[in-house]
Amino acid sequence: MWSDPSAGRSASLAAPPSSSAQAASGPTPGTSDPGPSSSSSSGPPKKPLVKLQRFGACFAKEAVDLNELRELLWSGVPDEADPSVRAKAWQLMLGYLPVHVERQVTGLSKKRREYRELVKDYFERSPEMRSDNENQILRQIRVDIPRTNPGFKFFGDAVMHGIMERTLFIWALRNPASGYVQGINDLITPFLVVFLASYLNKRDEDLHELEISEVPSEVLEHIEADAYWCLSKMLADIQDHYTFGQPGIQRMVLRLKEIVKRIDEALYDHLTNNGLEFLQFSFRWMNCFLMREFPMRCVIRLWDTYIAEQASGFSNFHVYVCAVFLVYWAPQLKMMDFQQMMLFMQKFPTEQWRPQQIETLLAEAYVLKSLFHSSPKHLS
Amino acid sequence: MDAYDYLFKFILIGDSAVGKSCILTSLIENKFKKGSSHTIGVEFGSKIINVSGKRVKLQIWDTAGQERYRSVTRSYYRGAAGALIVYDITNRDTYHHLINWLADARTLARADISIIAVGNKSDLKDKRAVTFLEASRCAQENEILFLETSALTGEGVEEVFVKVAKMILNKIEDGMQHIEEGLGYHGLFSGLIDPATMMSGVHAGARSLLNEASPAEPASRCISC
Ligand SMILES: Nc1nc2c(ncn2[C@@H]2O[C@H](COP(=O)(O)OP(=O)(O)OP(=O)(O)O)[C@@H](O)[C@H]2O)c(=O)[nH]1
Ligand SMILES: [Mg+2]
Repeated sequence: MWSDPSAGRSASLAAPPSSSAQAASGPTPGTSDPGPSSSSSSGPPKKPLVKLQRFGACFAKEAVDLNELRELLWSGVPDEADPSVRAKAWQLMLGYLPVHVERQVTGLSKKRREYRELVKDYFERSPEMRSDNENQILRQIRVDIPRTNPGFKFFGDAVMHGIMERTLFIWALRNPASGYVQGINDLITPFLVVFLASYLNKRDEDLHELEISEVPSEVLEHIEADAYWCLSKMLADIQDHYTFGQPGIQRMVLRLKEIVKRIDEALYDHLTNNGLEFLQFSFRWMNCFLMREFPMRCVIRLWDTYIAEQASGFSNFHVYVCAVFLVYWAPQLKMMDFQQMMLFMQKFPTEQWRPQQIETLLAEAYVLKSLFHSSPKHLS
Repeated sequence: MDAYDYLFKFILIGDSAVGKSCILTSLIENKFKKGSSHTIGVEFGSKIINVSGKRVKLQIWDTAGQERYRSVTRSYYRGAAGALIVYDITNRDTYHHLINWLADARTLARADISIIAVGNKSDLKDKRAVTFLEASRCAQENEILFLETSALTGEGVEEVFVKVAKMILNKIEDGMQHIEEGLGYHGLFSGLIDPATMMSGVHAGARSLLNEASPAEPASRCISC
């Protein structure tokens, strides 16, 4: 069945990029049981409302069943959900919020206290005591923070800059093998947006014009600690993406190349014949998990699934998402020369993308991953 | 018309946040983008400039400044005919690192690479920490070109690229610059030449390979950008 892998797949992928309606009416991935460890079988397509109830029921148990939550989160938090649902799901899934409901309040306050200690130990030390290396890290963080711009006004606010500076600096010092690497500043932003939305009970789309001065300082303290711990969990297993030589990323780029060669050899040939190297365009996809390629609402949807995949290594799955994403543009790319492709891939026309289009990518990626894993010989 | 006489590949190197990406944006879009993000890995830009009556197409790789990215950015040196080493005139550290960047370029790039030191943010006069004179002496000692720019006002930006391109053109006239005469994937017979051999960073454009007098029309059909 895999003899001409590109044939069957490209039919659904070749939808013109602007036709969100078409993509949205495509396969609805989440509803049909794609979760990696899901046990229940897929029923008829579930309405968002049913899904909301399932989230509610999942949280209401004495101890949240992480397998059940994983399956739910994998297919995305519905738009209709209360903003706190996503924040809670992410925090549970990342092992930050305790699964036992009666331990959640104390668990969180303990973690937040711990974080305050970290701030004292690592950040509030007198500047003279900082090593050259620490100063260099801080310098890099400070020049990157004002250049962190995922489209929300509040990321330009000095108070938010302080939050990012502390979390990133502490993370870097506690992860000396990698230290701070440019791009990690991008990776903390979805947590900040989702947790802010949860506390303020607003949709993340309604936060674009938010003024930080409107947010109570207690809330800011909480989201700072929560974002710090969740970022740490998220990056815990992918340290080698950011260590010297970035071997984790090199590996993913290589794998992407193999997969694309398998599923769309014509595109692969077109890229290589034009002198395009995978590293040239996909390094950033790996380093920032496609964050620079999509608007925040899409990144957040992508992260629902990645956080659900976190335990089994979401970076593995991410490569398949990248492959599907690249092949999606094959019709356009095949018409272009080297320079046109480079410029096109630097700024994909994705500004208008909706989360539904991400779901299509995820569904395709899931199918692709299953096919490759069930017959690994295709990769050799 | 997109036809050109030569294609030069350039790299932009230098410490993080000195303004490399802003210089590239200023060259290509003639504007200063506030709030643009830092570079992850490399970014790419292209522009055709006029130099001594020739149309020169520049393909420019803008690299990320952070040390950790060197393993990725280093691979862009070998294909380059020109290098801009950028520092920030308000930050002495970035100036001191110029020497390291130069050493990188000398070891990793071709021997005939043309290099310019670029002191950026010249609009920030009050914060100046590196004088024009010392930088220009340093450049002279190291036998590289030197100019100051402001990506914010646009001052000096195009001149920097023109200056390096001129130097390369002079080398071509003196027969000191290696030129890839193949038409390659930018020329008429697309795909005939293995891109891996196109490492010189300088290619003759289709216009020069056709008769100079002939209209640029056939070339523009093949060299679309
Ligand atoms: N005043 C002034 N500011 C500038 C100028 N050029 C750049 N900047 C600012 O300097 C900061 C860094 O600019 P970038 O172009 O992102 O720096 P870069 O060298 O590309 O940095 P990396 O991508 O991290 O290597 C930005 O905040 C710019 O707004 C300039 O000519 N004048
Ligand atoms: Mg840059």
